[in-house]
Parts: sequence; structure tokens; C-alpha cells
Amino acid sequence: MAQEAVPRGRAYGAALLTLLAPGLGHWLLGRRGRGVALFAIVSVTFLSGLLFDGALFPLRAENWLFRLGGIAEAGSGLLYLLGRLLGLGALEQARVTGVMFGYGNTFLVTAGLMNMLLMMDAFDIAIGRKS
Amino acid sequence: MIPDHVLSMVVFSVLVALFFATVNHRDRAGFWKSAVKTFGWMALGSVAFAWLMYWTA
Repeated sequence: MAQEAVPRGRAYGAALLTLLAPGLGHWLLGRRGRGVALFAIVSVTFLSGLLFDGALFPLRAENWLFRLGGIAEAGSGLLYLLGRLLGLGALEQARVTGVMFGYGNTFLVTAGLMNMLLMMDAFDIAIGRKS
Repeated sequence: MIPDHVLSMVVFSVLVALFFATVNHRDRAGFWKSAVKTFGWMALGSVAFAWLMYWTA
């Protein structure tokens, strides 16, 4: 049985654009309202993490738990990159021993994981697996 | 930022509930039902877990 050709290039493009900005893939696929809402939710989660004294872990941290955290946070894409470039959420003694450190990290890691999920969601929408 | 455990838990639960409701629901009724349900379970679960930790400490 012949299978219908699926636009894989468009799907990978949508997923990569989501990495650039949360919700951008959805927006370009015609789900404009959803794209804007998702951008707002992921960005607020990320910014809350920074406000709650979370750290943006480097991808090459010595501590393997910090490294895992960095990989998850990097899912936020451009937000993570900008934060690192601006020196936000640096791993300092005062931050690490702060009472809100764990909470802030949870927000930042969750923002990254949310965006990874959005990449897959945009991919599924583009290939027609999801409406 | 105010170091408030309850505030951070509430903000986190609201954001996660809104995220999954937005991803999974297109109709307004389904969206709010899912968001309120997820928020409720997360908030209730957090309080129950905190009480358990307090009780076993």
C-alpha cells in the first residue's frame, strides 16, 4: 500500500524554530493563538526560575547533576543561550546556598523540558499526526 | 523575590496546568476543565507531600 508523502523538512523546520523561540513552530503552522500562549507560558516559567534564584547550569559543569540540569535547561533554546550570555543565573555561592535555589532550578529545568515537548508537538502537527 | 514556598508551588502548578491544557485541548470547556483539574491535583499533592515530610521529620 502506497503511503502518502509527509513533508518531513517542514516538520523538522517547525521543531527547530520552536527551539529558537517557544511556540514559533506552532505559530508558523497556523496555530497562532496557541503559539503565542505557549511562548508566554514557557517564557514566564523560565523568568520565574531566574527570579526564584535558580541557576543556568553550564553544559560542561563538573558535577554530573548540574550537567544534566544544564541539558534540560538548554531545551529552552534561545532563552537559555541569552541568559548564559548575559551572565544570568550564574553558579555563585550565595545563590547555591539560598533557600529558593531548588525551586528556581525546578522552574528553569521545567521550562526547558516544556520546550522539548513543544518541539515534538510542532513536529507531530506538521506531519499531520496531531491537529 | 520573596522566599515563599507556597507562592512558588502555586505559581509552578498554575504554569504547568496551563501548559498541558494548552497543548492538549482546543475547546474552551476542555481547556479549563483540564487546567483546574491539573492545578488541583498538583497543589493537593504538594501539600500532602509537605505534610508527609513534616510528619516523618
